[in-house]
Amino acid sequence: MGLSSLLAGGIALLALPAFAGAAEPILQTEQSDVATLPAWGPHTILVVDAVYTHNKDGRAYVVDADKGKLLGMVQAAYNANVALAPDASRFFVAETTWARGNRGERNDLLVEYNANTLGITADEKLPSRALVTPKRNNLGLSADVSRAYVYQMSPSNAVEVVDTKTHTVTQTVDIPGCALVYPWGNDGFSSLCADGTLANVHLEADGKPAMTHSPAFFEPDHDGIFEQSPSSSKDGKAYFISYSGLVYETQLGAQAVVSKPWSLQEGAGLKAAPAADKPLEVTWRPGGWQMSALHKSDHTLYVLMHRGTFWTHKEAGTEVWVYDTTTHKRLRRMPLTKASTMVGVTQDANPLMFTADEGTGGFIISDARTGKVLRVMKALGTSLIFTAAPGE
Amino acid sequence: MSLSDSGKKQAGLLDRLTETTLRRIAGRSSRRSVLTRLGGAVAAVPAFMLLPVSRAGATTKAAGAEAAKPKAKTPFGAKAQAKNDLACDYWRYCAIDGNLCTSCGGGVHTCPPGTAPSPTSWIGSCYNPQDGNSYMIAYRDCCGQDSCNEVTCLNTDGDQPSYRPMANNDIIWCFGTGTSEMYNCSTAAIVGKIS
Repeated sequence: MGLSSLLAGGIALLALPAFAGAAEPILQTEQSDVATLPAWGPHTILVVDAVYTHNKDGRAYVVDADKGKLLGMVQAAYNANVALAPDASRFFVAETTWARGNRGERNDLLVEYNANTLGITADEKLPSRALVTPKRNNLGLSADVSRAYVYQMSPSNAVEVVDTKTHTVTQTVDIPGCALVYPWGNDGFSSLCADGTLANVHLEADGKPAMTHSPAFFEPDHDGIFEQSPSSSKDGKAYFISYSGLVYETQLGAQAVVSKPWSLQEGAGLKAAPAADKPLEVTWRPGGWQMSALHKSDHTLYVLMHRGTFWTHKEAGTEVWVYDTTTHKRLRRMPLTKASTMVGVTQDANPLMFTADEGTGGFIISDARTGKVLRVMKALGTSLIFTAAPGE
Repeated sequence: MSLSDSGKKQAGLLDRLTETTLRRIAGRSSRRSVLTRLGGAVAAVPAFMLLPVSRAGATTKAAGAEAAKPKAKTPFGAKAQAKNDLACDYWRYCAIDGNLCTSCGGGVHTCPPGTAPSPTSWIGSCYNPQDGNSYMIAYRDCCGQDSCNEVTCLNTDGDQPSYRPMANNDIIWCFGTGTSEMYNCSTAAIVGKIS
């Protein structure tokens, strides 16, 4: 390059700022603001992350499952539970903190969030709360969301009934020998009991509880019922699934009716699996953490399955088996690309299915009708344990 | 394993005793005194557990084989080892869920410094391949610091849901420790021999 060329280039460079300024308008000053969520659709969900490695930092994420996009998050501290109102207008987080991190005054809290702004609309202190690796059924809502039910173990067993209008605990219902809440209708819940019965608590017009017990229908040490068995408060239907794979369809209510069980294995053309009396037999079994999900209008039951012995009830599922709850037959089996301890489904006509990769904290979104992976949110969290979708 | 009829009855009796006791103290006591009494009840467990109680996770003696050692009849017991208490397949850990205190500055029945042991616990029954015996194991949590994550295990032999709390490994057993109920790690103390 000659000297004249260099000079010409230099002149051109000197002229550049004025030229660029003419093409690009100067950026305007900005004000900081806060986003609100787009309207919730059937595929807008909550994903609960227990963060087992430092539980006090648990959280719940709002996810647009159509885009695989994180929309926001809230604290859900120390083995917290999360329950979403069926209309997705609000959700509740039951959580525990200590005033000075790992010490000081303990606060058991029931926090209500506006689902669009993620603003706190109530932040109520509870008498207590069960501290246990979180299961969906440690916190329940009545069908009309007028009541929240918080399971507590301190260490006696009880359920705190919270009026969601006044944000006060109206009752602490002792449920000796029983645990968890499976809400039915607007004024009752059932709990599973150590003697193999259901305790059914009806809250009378004056708010006082009346309890009945169903006859014993299972033996907990022989073939326990999964605590994460799915149910619906709206119609009071529950599908209690045993460790071996028996499904006890139950009409919850003040006089709960438990139907004769059917077998997940028999519904798939296999022989029924043995329970604790033949623990070493390897076959397909249900297992995981949130190991089942219900699509209510489709009458389909999604169950995480793995091959294993008895006492492998927390092992991650390698496949999801889908059952018709009216015929008790398996409709389809969907192998998973990553074994998962949780499964969730949306409640619409084009449902999505959710599973998680325990190793990476990845969140996997699939077509619930085919099992085809649609998108993966890599490392969404740490310990993804269950989802909550509108209309559940 | 196969529970004999008498074993089933004994197990049932234990459950009824436990439940009845819990119902009684829960019905009559303030929560603070429930804690005290439950702590006392669990402290009494070693003597209690020497009773010939057979549970779902326990093994049974072969009839007429006086000198014969029981064989592991549970999935975990069949592959357990007795040498390395830093590994999840160490025989005592048959029903452990959580972090091994042996890897957190404590020991198999010792809490790490800065934590406190829970007076209450859940109970497993585990087969020791070294001596051929099965033992009742109390999985006492160490509390007051957040989770130690050096070695984390999830073993479920005999693990029952939380409506059977004494056999459930999901509950944070940090009642009455004098610290916060924050879970650090789990120990596995022998509290009795089964067979």
